Amino acid sequence: MNESAWDGTLSASEFSASAQAFAEKWKLNNPAYPPWTWVKSLEVPIFATNQVSLVEEGYLSLENVCIVKSNDDEVASCVEGEASLYDKEDEESTDSATLTSSGNDNVQPYYFDFHIIYSASFRVPVLYFRAYCSDGRSLGLNEIESVLPANSAKVLLESKWTFITQEEHPYLNRPWCKLHPCGSSDWMKLLFQAVEKVDRPAMELYLVSWFSVVGPVIGLGIPIQMLKEP
Amino acid sequence: MAAKRENGSILQFAPFQSSVDEGFWHRLSSLKLNKFRIDDSPIPITGFYAPCSHSQVSNHLTLVAESLPADEDEQSSVPAIASGNRNRCSVPGILYNTNTLEDFRALDKKSLLKQEAKKIWEDIQSGRAMEDSALLSRFLVISFADLKKWSFHYWFAFPALVLDPPATMVELKAASQWFTLDEAESVSKACNEWRSSNSTAGVPFFLVSIASDSRASIRHLKDWEACQGDGQKLLFGFYDPCHLPSNPGWPLRNLLALICSSWNLKSVDLFCYRESRGFADLGLSLVGKVLLHGLQFHRDHKDLPNAVGWELNKDRAVPRSITLAKSMDPTRLAISAADLNLKLMRWRALPSLDLDKLASTKCLLLGAGTLGCEVARRLMAWGVRKITLLDNGKVAMSNPLRQSLYTFDDCLNGGKYKALAAVTSLQRIFPAVEAEGVVMAIPMPGHPATSQEVDGVIDDCTRLHNLIDSHDAVFLLTDTRESRWLPSLLCANANKITITAALGFDSFLVMRHGPGPLPNASKADAANALSDEMESLALSNREQQRLGCYFCNDVVQPTDSTSNRTLDQQCTVTRPGLASNASSLAVELCVNMLHHPDGHLIEQLPFYRTFACVDSELALGILPHQIRGYLFDFSQMKLVGRSFDRCTACSLTVVKEYRERGLEFLLQAINHPTYLADLTGLTELTKSANSFDIDWDDDGDDDGFADI
Repeated sequence: MNESAWDGTLSASEFSASAQAFAEKWKLNNPAYPPWTWVKSLEVPIFATNQVSLVEEGYLSLENVCIVKSNDDEVASCVEGEASLYDKEDEESTDSATLTSSGNDNVQPYYFDFHIIYSASFRVPVLYFRAYCSDGRSLGLNEIESVLPANSAKVLLESKWTFITQEEHPYLNRPWCKLHPCGSSDWMKLLFQAVEKVDRPAMELYLVSWFSVVGPVIGLGIPIQMLKEP
Repeated sequence: MAAKRENGSILQFAPFQSSVDEGFWHRLSSLKLNKFRIDDSPIPITGFYAPCSHSQVSNHLTLVAESLPADEDEQSSVPAIASGNRNRCSVPGILYNTNTLEDFRALDKKSLLKQEAKKIWEDIQSGRAMEDSALLSRFLVISFADLKKWSFHYWFAFPALVLDPPATMVELKAASQWFTLDEAESVSKACNEWRSSNSTAGVPFFLVSIASDSRASIRHLKDWEACQGDGQKLLFGFYDPCHLPSNPGWPLRNLLALICSSWNLKSVDLFCYRESRGFADLGLSLVGKVLLHGLQFHRDHKDLPNAVGWELNKDRAVPRSITLAKSMDPTRLAISAADLNLKLMRWRALPSLDLDKLASTKCLLLGAGTLGCEVARRLMAWGVRKITLLDNGKVAMSNPLRQSLYTFDDCLNGGKYKALAAVTSLQRIFPAVEAEGVVMAIPMPGHPATSQEVDGVIDDCTRLHNLIDSHDAVFLLTDTRESRWLPSLLCANANKITITAALGFDSFLVMRHGPGPLPNASKADAANALSDEMESLALSNREQQRLGCYFCNDVVQPTDSTSNRTLDQQCTVTRPGLASNASSLAVELCVNMLHHPDGHLIEQLPFYRTFACVDSELALGILPHQIRGYLFDFSQMKLVGRSFDRCTACSLTVVKEYRERGLEFLLQAINHPTYLADLTGLTELTKSANSFDIDWDDDGDDDGFADI
């Protein structure tokens, strides 16, 4: 492929290969976090001449990443109670063997799910994410921004490349947040020209480089070792 | 408060906590709507939990979309969820979903809890729990799904058989402190294997057997007999969701009940298994010695013990509720999609776009015809939400072709009122629009009111005055010249953003009126402070600098232009492409005005600035005064017209007269055919122009005289 100018995008099969490489490097270099798993979705057969090749479609998933905030930062009140619904306390709730005051009243955990999904129309990976309270209630966008670590919120505000929108997850049909991809190809191109000084990268490294820009926005760091050749 | 007993303090268990993924509610809603409908029989569900994996946060029993039973038709995504996977272990439960809130409140919680506790007790007695230990953590949920408001009320119960007298704890400490180093290593290894194997990962209760050579192995509960003897240490282990250092999690309660019932042991060693980063963490895991008293639970005693377990909500015995309107209500989804579109525009192209301002600007559209329909649609596309349409006509058979808010149905049976049909149409396009329709005729000079009509005309004038006062931007989109007179006057009086659009056969005019000659009434107090001389000086300066209105170019007053017209003149024929062109420009001009830093008044701009304001802050573009478009050669011209001091609509004379005499003045203007011309001095001007003696040169110099 001797294209004169690379446009910053990658193909679906390049994405799949790059995703595997990314997941492996992450597992090796980032033990503090659980590993990314590849979730398979539809398999679309592609007929090429006389052979049938199956292009496996799927996405990378990292779920249940827990961020703990102290109760002093009043972020999101989770599920409300129905104060007026019951007049008297029920006797059956507790006995002497039930611990009534728990020690974790001063911390509030929030859980994040991250999916990296390929966008066929933009031809770039897109980061989808959502956050929820411990009782399952989803956080709204402004709540998420206040839960994310302080420096990632800053990156979000200042960077002209990052824009969070709420859209339907392409496979799960539920509203998720995503980092809008329309600038991705532009800055990927810049990244490779400026930093790597090559016109076109080895596609396997695409996702690693892409994540080095996108990760800090949502508070996921990437260790330096991942960016180096193995 | 732990009560002290002879053999240690009462063992207190941390209650299980529930977590319901929104996908569960989505699925329940759809099952309720499509499958169950009013059937409220209990539904078997599956909960999932995993051992604690965080030192500060306990794990929860989670319900997800897959927790509900699979549809017979749905093949794909719900195959082997029943068997646990590494991350979560499945637990059987039951859901009582009621049809009304009253039913929800009326459920007999005591008896429901007892029913589930009985199932656990019977599983213990029969030995089923020994085979399938997940049955020990059976749970119960009651719920009410309000599918109109998209809110869900629910309450979990984790039935735990009460030991009487309660178990006491002799000691409980971190597993790493209890085991020797070799034992610890071996136990970790055995646990990791147990957790990685598909056949055992979902088994939450087990035995830890440590041989004298420190080698540990994990066994099923049913192998207890086989593990006796040989100097082995035997601990009862379970997946502990709790993170606390001095308390075990709730699932232990029913395990102790099983132990009491099956083997009548007096003391047991326990292993509360917790993980971190996917592997056994013996610093977080606990080991303890617990004493069990009494013979209540011996297998000869068949009575059902008491049970507790309704989940507390912030320490109160009340149910929980959650509202999902934001992600389920289609109107809300439409709103957020529309907002997203505009925000994208702001992000990618126009950072200075003020979306809040657009959303809150109240727009009044006078005329709901060809121009009115198009202007309304463009405004909605810009995120304007408050739109009022005024028109006294009904939808005629020819209208839907050119007036984009109407359909054929609106014409039937004499035709709906345009203003009202337009509102309905706007709401069908975007439910969140705040649109209002006013069916009213605009009083016009040259169309005198009879004595019966006078009161109606007065009402209409007042109504129009109030409408203009209560809106921020007014669009003059009617089809006659004289119908624009009163609105122009009122807008000049109130200093509102006023945009006129008018169509010829193949040409159009779009213009923004200049500000009125007088500041708003509320500012009059400040003006009073000036001396009379200064005041008149200030006013006359303002007059000269002001941009003009639609009537400033006229040297005749507006009269009846509709009577005595030929048929083609009556039908206001225009080329179809004109209306959308003109309407779009009108709206874009208005948006530019709203973004101008001087606000809509844009007063006293020097001549050149009115024409081409190329300030850097005006990222949206310039603010021309008038745009005239010609389809004949597909061209557009930008013009400037200053205010005319004898204008019948916006001159100082007229506005002052209106402020002083109000409705009386309006009636006079409407009824008397030359009153306005006399008042402003147009009559005089015309006379003097006519009397002007022009000496025509006979040289044949053919300099074209410009038309006035």
